[in-house]
Order: sequence, then structure tokens, then C-alpha cells
Amino acid sequence: MIRTLLLGFCQWCNNSFWGHAIRESTWLFPFVEIFHLLALGILGGTILILNLRLMRLAFKTESTAELAAEVKPWMIGSLIVMLVSGFLLFSTEAVKMYGNWGFQLKMLFLLLATIYTFTIHRRITLADDGRFGPALRIFVAVVSLLLWSGVGLGGRALGYITTSVSSVSMLLLR
Amino acid sequence: MFARFLQWLYDTHFSGMMRESLWAEPVVETIHVLTLTLFLGFAVMLDMRLLGVVLKRRRMSEVLAQFNPWLFAGFAVMIVTGVLLFCGDPISFWSTTFFKVKMIMLALAGLNVLIFNATIGRKVAQWDLDPRTPGQAKIAAVVSLVLWVLIIAAGRGIAYALPPP
Repeated sequence: MIRTLLLGFCQWCNNSFWGHAIRESTWLFPFVEIFHLLALGILGGTILILNLRLMRLAFKTESTAELAAEVKPWMIGSLIVMLVSGFLLFSTEAVKMYGNWGFQLKMLFLLLATIYTFTIHRRITLADDGRFGPALRIFVAVVSLLLWSGVGLGGRALGYITTSVSSVSMLLLR
Repeated sequence: MFARFLQWLYDTHFSGMMRESLWAEPVVETIHVLTLTLFLGFAVMLDMRLLGVVLKRRRMSEVLAQFNPWLFAGFAVMIVTGVLLFCGDPISFWSTTFFKVKMIMLALAGLNVLIFNATIGRKVAQWDLDPRTPGQAKIAAVVSLVLWVLIIAAGRGIAYALPPP
């Protein structure tokens, strides 16, 4: 059921006019990809800054909550740019991505990392600095770094995986 | 002369290893790209501080002191991994316009840092907590932002311009 829905969604993206347009154009894909990469830099930077603060490796004189409030618009803004540009790139080969384990891994980590960032991570970073012990803060930071690294590694991996069309059509038949 | 250097590099044992290994290139490239997030994130935040947009209540000198070690470390990792990637296929890399443009812009970005440090950066104590940062600092920030956008775009361009393996 879910598989059919997901595959249907992938096919819809694949056949969308933007999917077509970006696929057919020589320059649109790299153009969108640059925005994806730039937003990646900013998102990665803001997450790193917060986690380094949690681990007391940088910005020790600044309160974590203040730093979190400061970088928040940049984090949310870059995440939105990443999601939009990522969706556009995905649409150019959505059906291929359906069967790509690198992509599946990336989406799983993206979901976990996003939920984590706006729940547990946010709660700890916005709390007063004395409220939670250093060990817990380091643990929360490490989990955040691992989850976001998972997104990045999945993203790198998907480019190296070639999904054969036949394996996708096998899924279609199932 | 330079073409001979590229050919010599291509023929080295090390270059062959980079080319033929299944894992060397993806691993090194992944480190290159992930380090970019560290470097770019910090660079953008620093530039935004220079523009007076973020961390406004922090002393500029303190922000610089906090950011610089991370920026240098990230830059060093990117240079090392970048050189390794170049070693894998120097002739193809050099044949692309994107690569040459990227190298020129990297040099300009370095020059921008040197100029900043030699001029307005040296006098940072005078404007450490000014609500409005000096124009020269703003120019340095904008130049840095534009150059890094172009460097990343050119880097991405290399991947598209390289002849298929």
C-alpha cells in the first residue's frame, strides 16, 4: 500500500513539468544544485556552531540559548532552500531514486534529523546553560552530528549507485 | 613545461592509485564536500557578523578569534583533499575552464583575507562593538560571499565538465 503510494508519488514527480524542464535543460540541474550546496553549507555551519557550543569546543563565552536564537533563522531558511532545491533535483529522476538505497537512507536520516533538531536538540539548546549536565549536552550534540552526517553520506552515496531500470520495473510489477 | 608536469603527475604511482581504487575517490570527495559545510557555514556566519547582521553584541575580535581556528582547519582539510582529487586526474582537471576559474577565485579569496587583515582587520579594536560595521569590513564580507558562491559553483561545474571516465 505505502509502496504503491510512494511509487505513484515518484512517478508523478518524474512526469511533472518541472521534472521535465530540469531534465531536458543542460544548465538547470547544475543551477539548482548550486543552491542546494550553498544551503548545505549554511545549514551544516549553523548546526556545527550549536553542537560545538554544546560540547564546549567553541563560543564558550556565549550562552547556548542566545546562540541558538541567533542562528535559528539561518538554520530554518537554509533547510527550506535545501528541501525545495532537493525536491526539484529529485523530480528529475524520481523513479530511479525510488529504488536507490542511498536515497532511501538519506530520506530516513533527513526525517530523523529534522524531528530531532526541532524537538530534543532544540529543548537542550534553548535551556539555561546550567540546567543539563555536560555529559548529556555532549551526547545530544553527538547524536545531532551523527544524524546529519547520515543525511550527507546518503546524499553522497546515491550519486555512486546506479539503479538499473529493470530492478525498478520489478518493483512496479510486484 | 606545465603540460609535462601534469603528465608526470598523471604517470606517478600515486595518481594511478587514486584513479584505479574503487574507494579512494568517493571517500576523499565525501570528506572534501562535508568539510565544505564546516568551512562555508563558519565563513558565512563570519561574513554576516562583518556585515552587522548576526552576533551583533559579540566583540568582532572575539568572533574572529573563535572562528579562525575552525576556518583554518576546514580550509586545510579542503586543500589536502582537493589536491588528492586533482592528483587522480590532473590532465582532465586542468583541461576544464571551471577548474582554472576556481583556482583564480581561490587566490582572490586568499587575497581578500590578506587585505582585510592588513587594513581594517588590524584596527578591529576601534570598531569591536560598533553597531554599524565599517564600510571596508562590509566590502570584504561581500567579496568573500560572492567568491565562495562562485568557487562552489565552479567546483560543481568541474564535475560536469570532466570527460566521463
